[in-house]
Amino acid sequence: MPFQHERLDNGLDVIAETSDCAVSASVGFFVLTGARDESDDLWGASHFLEHMVFKGTAEISGDDINRRFDAMGATVNAFTSEEDTVYYASVLPERQDEAVELLARMMRPALRTEDFETEKLVILEEIRMYDDQPPFGADDRCRAAFFGRHPLARSVLGSVDSIRGLPVDAMRDYHRRRYAPGTMVLAASGAVDFPALVAAARRLCDDWEPVPTPERIVPAAPRAAVRPGIDRIVRPAAALGYAVSMVAGPGEHDPDRHAARLLAILLGDSSGSRLYWDLVDTGEAEQAACIHEDFLDAGLFVTQLSCDPDDVAALTARIADIYAAAPGDITPEEFERARNKLASRVVLGGERPRRRLFEVGLDWAHTRIHRSVADTLHIVESLSLDDVRRVLAAWPLDAPAATVIAGPAA
Amino acid sequence: MKQTLHSATLDNGITILGEHLPDLESVAVAFVVAAGGVHDPARRCGLATLSGEMCLRGAGGRSSRRIVEDLESAGAQWAHGVSGTHSSYTGAMVARQLPVVLPIYADILRRPLLPAGELTAARQMVLQNLAALEDDPAHRALAALQRIHCPAPWGMPTEGLTADVEAIAIGDVRAFVATHQQPRGMIVSIAGRIDWDDVVARIDALLGDWSPGPDVPVVDGPRGPATCHVPHDSQQTHIALGWSVPPYRDDASHEATAALSILGGGASSRLFTEVRERRGLCYTVSAGYQTRRHFATAACYAGTSAERAQETLDVMLAEIDRLPGSLTEEELDRVKARVKSGLVMQQESSAARAAAIARQWYHLGRMQTLAEELERYDRLSVPALEAWLAANPPSDLSVVSLGREPLEVPRALPA
Repeated sequence: MPFQHERLDNGLDVIAETSDCAVSASVGFFVLTGARDESDDLWGASHFLEHMVFKGTAEISGDDINRRFDAMGATVNAFTSEEDTVYYASVLPERQDEAVELLARMMRPALRTEDFETEKLVILEEIRMYDDQPPFGADDRCRAAFFGRHPLARSVLGSVDSIRGLPVDAMRDYHRRRYAPGTMVLAASGAVDFPALVAAARRLCDDWEPVPTPERIVPAAPRAAVRPGIDRIVRPAAALGYAVSMVAGPGEHDPDRHAARLLAILLGDSSGSRLYWDLVDTGEAEQAACIHEDFLDAGLFVTQLSCDPDDVAALTARIADIYAAAPGDITPEEFERARNKLASRVVLGGERPRRRLFEVGLDWAHTRIHRSVADTLHIVESLSLDDVRRVLAAWPLDAPAATVIAGPAA
Repeated sequence: MKQTLHSATLDNGITILGEHLPDLESVAVAFVVAAGGVHDPARRCGLATLSGEMCLRGAGGRSSRRIVEDLESAGAQWAHGVSGTHSSYTGAMVARQLPVVLPIYADILRRPLLPAGELTAARQMVLQNLAALEDDPAHRALAALQRIHCPAPWGMPTEGLTADVEAIAIGDVRAFVATHQQPRGMIVSIAGRIDWDDVVARIDALLGDWSPGPDVPVVDGPRGPATCHVPHDSQQTHIALGWSVPPYRDDASHEATAALSILGGGASSRLFTEVRERRGLCYTVSAGYQTRRHFATAACYAGTSAERAQETLDVMLAEIDRLPGSLTEEELDRVKARVKSGLVMQQESSAARAAAIARQWYHLGRMQTLAEELERYDRLSVPALEAWLAANPPSDLSVVSLGREPLEVPRALPA
């Protein structure tokens, strides 16, 4: 899978990982902007802005955008995280130019007041929807307890009050500052015509002004939960109890993040892991999972538990025991199985251009490095049990955690 | 678009389907048996789901743990699921692992140990899932719609009913597996980097000498009431609407699915435009098509704040009413483009193709090439769609609301 890269004069990077076997092309804009870049009075602005980008430009209405993508047969969507806002479309190769053109034009939205007020209602519905769904906000509350005053503490959606209070001018200013060519990447994967991609970028993005983007706020990230202990959310109608716990793990720039991912699979994958056999297979927990998340300057091991509300405390204690025992008794066989699983995910995931788009685009946006499927596979296959043990020693899973429990009673 | 499709039938009735996708490194396999939720006996709703779970708890010479360890050592991404009609055991893996993986599935299918000692844990697992679904309001609204709209037993929840699951005994599980997990009606579909002759020889060796049992027909019962409110303490009210449309095997299903797609299939659809984009009433609104072999349901869903739920329902009903006589060429062209992309992009996933050819075989008794399916959609025209809609306007509407207060269904629903 050849990799190609070109930089426009204004600093916009255009990259592609092309494949002869793919029947589709995926293209996307990766904007280095997320919840961590917001101030208190802009809380939720990155995600709200992502919605507003679909409401059109000075020349193209929001309805037109929806119609044009559907007419291309495009699978199109966007997401906002703590660190990134990503817009993407998957199309048949003959539609590449149309898709790139529309996405590029969308990056310069009109941000009309009237659309802003209507879309505000949609965002408020999205907040209510997640608030009604497990784990009932426990994940956001837990991240806030772990990170304290660090910018990663900020939830992506914002709050009902912060969204209601956000002025449209503040969003326009935020867009001008953050959607600058130097903080954006145009990435593509699959059956991509790279010269055509670059030509389109020159035609559509060359006049984007290279505004100096404020440096991303990177204060020292906590290496332990800022507010360890248990917090509670009461939902009288909930049928199950939900617990989310976070301890520190390696971040994106730490070479040990691969071993951390393998460790999370070994301990807490959705099947065949230690948590699975001890808690899920026995029917005691509906879910018991361990996930490794990484950010620019921080990492987390997140434990998610759902079970009978009366069992949350006892099962949380059991998980703590499983974590405490891990450094001493991981067997070479279970290490090998977890490594095979990880390797298989890398290979099978590599067959889908859209999956590759996210990996290639985010890797480049964050590190200016391209890693092929073969490169990643090589890293996974080189991992040893010692790597996993080193992660466990450096990032103890039984460290004091930030925990939030949601359920029918306090 | 050149496709290589294969099929073979073993003497005991098992159908083997294959699609060769030479550009992929992977292979996906699906073992699909006619052991779905509609076969649950009275007062044993959830038996198919619990039986499927029990089949994974030891089979042939393998313990519960060995089954999973052997699959995962081979790098197989495996899953098991039970639908209304089928129980499916699936796996995707790098092609060279297929010979290691197939015998594990053969054990699960033919030689499940069904140990009495595992029943409590397996039952708890099913009950945990039921409790989790209680916390998923969108799922509950759509499940309630199925329950009132479909003739019994087709609308019963495959995941089970708590009281019924609690009453299931090991004898029920063993009888269910013996009766329904059998070669009759079974499909093995496999897609990806395959050697067809080798696949057939291996599956024949593993399953060819398995004797079929008798066919077990399902008799349709009555339908439920047209409307239903499910009280739930939530900020949002969830709305589900359904009506009958032709099943996939009926040629008119193309007209029906195209009309549904115009109503609620994409971001430019009527529902998305009018309910979300124009009025900001909700985050999620959509229309979908759920087909059984002999009937199908159009189902619309929206979730919105309680105080705006009535307006949301009114706008949804108005858009359904407005559909006949108002379709445009541009809308139909967009449907065709979406169908084409979706079908072509399936080629990039061995798992999606294995599932698609199994589904076609069950519904149509044959596989369709992508070109054939595309050609059928390309032939659709606005006049033909309008003629079909005029003859088959959305009728027999069922309406479900889930939330704090019931909604007013503002007009007499067609019977």
